[in-house]
Amino acid sequence: MMKYQYLAVVFVIIMLPISLVFSAYIGTQLDTLDLQISYDTKLDNATYDAIKAFQLNTVNSTTSDIVNSKIRDIEAAANSFFTSIATNFNMAGYNSDILQQYVPALVFTLYDGFYIYSPFENTLDEETRQQLQNNTSATYVGGERVTGLKPYIYYSCRYVQGTTDVVITYSLDNYVTIQGQANGKKINDAGYLLSNLTYNASSGTVTYRGVEISEEPALKEYIGNDSNGGQYTYIKINGVKYYRENDGTWFTITTSGTKQPQSESFNAYYNDFNDMGYRYYKEAYDFQNRIVNEYGLGSLTSANAVDQNGNPLTNIQDDEGNIIYNFMGANDRIFNFSDDIEEPDSDFNNHRIAVIRYVVENNLAVALANYNRVGTVTYEFAMPKLAEEDWDKILNNVCLISFLQGLSIGGKIYNGYSVINNNKNEEVVTENSIYIVQNRNNINSEYHRVTHTGLFDSVDNNSLGVFNVDFERKTFGSAQRETTFYYYPHYYLGCYTCYVAQTNTATGYSNIYDYLDSGSNKTLAKIYYTALGRERYSMYKVFRNPDDHIAQFRT
Amino acid sequence: MGDSLITIVAIVLAAILMFVFPLMSMSDRTDDISQLTVKTATTEFVDNVRTTGRLSLADYSAFEQEIHATGNSYDIEMEVKVLDENPGKKTTQASSTKIGENVYYSMYTSQILETLNQGNAVLALKEGDMFSTSVRNTNTTLSQQLKNFFYTVAGNDTYTIAAEHGGYVTANGSGGN
Repeated sequence: MMKYQYLAVVFVIIMLPISLVFSAYIGTQLDTLDLQISYDTKLDNATYDAIKAFQLNTVNSTTSDIVNSKIRDIEAAANSFFTSIATNFNMAGYNSDILQQYVPALVFTLYDGFYIYSPFENTLDEETRQQLQNNTSATYVGGERVTGLKPYIYYSCRYVQGTTDVVITYSLDNYVTIQGQANGKKINDAGYLLSNLTYNASSGTVTYRGVEISEEPALKEYIGNDSNGGQYTYIKINGVKYYRENDGTWFTITTSGTKQPQSESFNAYYNDFNDMGYRYYKEAYDFQNRIVNEYGLGSLTSANAVDQNGNPLTNIQDDEGNIIYNFMGANDRIFNFSDDIEEPDSDFNNHRIAVIRYVVENNLAVALANYNRVGTVTYEFAMPKLAEEDWDKILNNVCLISFLQGLSIGGKIYNGYSVINNNKNEEVVTENSIYIVQNRNNINSEYHRVTHTGLFDSVDNNSLGVFNVDFERKTFGSAQRETTFYYYPHYYLGCYTCYVAQTNTATGYSNIYDYLDSGSNKTLAKIYYTALGRERYSMYKVFRNPDDHIAQFRT
Repeated sequence: MGDSLITIVAIVLAAILMFVFPLMSMSDRTDDISQLTVKTATTEFVDNVRTTGRLSLADYSAFEQEIHATGNSYDIEMEVKVLDENPGKKTTQASSTKIGENVYYSMYTSQILETLNQGNAVLALKEGDMFSTSVRNTNTTLSQQLKNFFYTVAGNDTYTIAAEHGGYVTANGSGGN
């Protein structure tokens, strides 16, 4: 009679603990996942803060391209990363010092190489060690664990073909540096690679993609809280903007935002004109000639790429083991000028991206593995497999990759990374960084993306291509540094349908070059290509001798 | 008489204990698992949009498919706060010691989906915009039904599976290509 109840009670006695344990287990899993998600977000936010700090510093500094000031900017960015991550994690009881032990590396990928910010053992040589032995106030002690920037690593690759043995350093755009020996000749050269160029030696005209590139009227910008309230003519040489005072002298703006008069002035030509765009295309034409005719590198392919020991490079694989790039099999001709070299899907670009990825991946794996030697946390640090979309971000922009590993999150150990890119900085001029101002003479004119629908027919000779960084707010200090003023170099307004919100932009083209080729009215193409060339040519280049370079504009 | 009453009570009790209790317990766990899936999917979706600056129809469909695979129906609400720097520029022009004030305007789910479905298939965002998504279930899950049947604590419109995530867009996305 009562056996139903007994059965039920027995059943409950068995089921209840199972159910409770199961419920608790799922609960723990949920908590772990919650924590993991919140850590991911915190890491993303801290990484963004760091790259934003880098962006702000470079935008407000005219010397940000020069190596020691770049190191300063990057160390400041690393500091803001740790400050931000400590603020974010404060609730969990972690402070900045503790968290530093869980960050095996911060990787700043820049224009032509990258920095790794990570702890290392500061090994002093014997002589220095002896000198410092009795000095108790020395900053560094031998064998100490120091966190800092490791030497800059270039995106470079060695190629061996017959008697040719060269190292090519790539960048985020089509700029390359070639060093080594080609067919018995020593080379040390650098320049931009462009296809579709023609040059008429007698008239000196350069044509790019059917558009004649010529000088443009001098550029103008507002500066700070100047009582003149007006615009200053400027030229940008090797990353520094030189402004022209009304009395004909030139000055620069210092990092603290004050005027720095220049003792020498520039050629009077630059009072009214700017030929940086023209120089970009003309020099690219000369560079192409040198590569093909003088150095004979035209037949170099991806299969000639070797590592430092002369062995072929290993294939690049994604996280599932599929081959992304096969150096031996891809057969990409690097200097294939008949292949629209500047377009994203060219042989050159496929190979360039593979090399950058190869260099970053290999160096990073080593850095993370080495962290186990200096790390104080008992956790085997390993390089997580980066997702393909993250590689896309890394390979096309300035980027910060941060790693956070070894924190306990309940059921497991946290092992996360974050990749945040930035496309508004002084490091690189991408195809998307140029905006078109409708009428440069009207302060209330709008600026547009190149792909704004209908822009082909609405631009004219008063339109101007502007680098996106120049629309950013800048700071300007008074001489006594009592007050900080804010100003915009350009007061043009962002278009509401293509800049503020991108609702009215052209679709269905594969890249900007194809898009511009599709228009019959070539005014837009001319303005855009001139601006792109001008901004790229004006950037700081390590390869150039700064004194020789600026001297060209003085006479 | 008394015996048969006890038998009936016993059978009902046994049925509840042997069938309904495990069923409730299992359906609760199912909801937990769904919650786990939905939360992960939402965070991944939002973070992907935030860090690439692109919201594409393909990404949205994949997200929708992933959460619907849990067997429930969901209400997905998205919001883009578009940063408008233009008013800030005008303020700075008037007084350069002031930092210009930025203005945001919002685009909601229906407007976002309209843009995505207009052949554009991509909504490009820019650095400084904000993007957020919240998801909640619209059907009554088995666990909710059972709970409502026994102790009617929860009203009919409440949800048990919900997730939300949002934040700054960190990169300029480009539409079109």
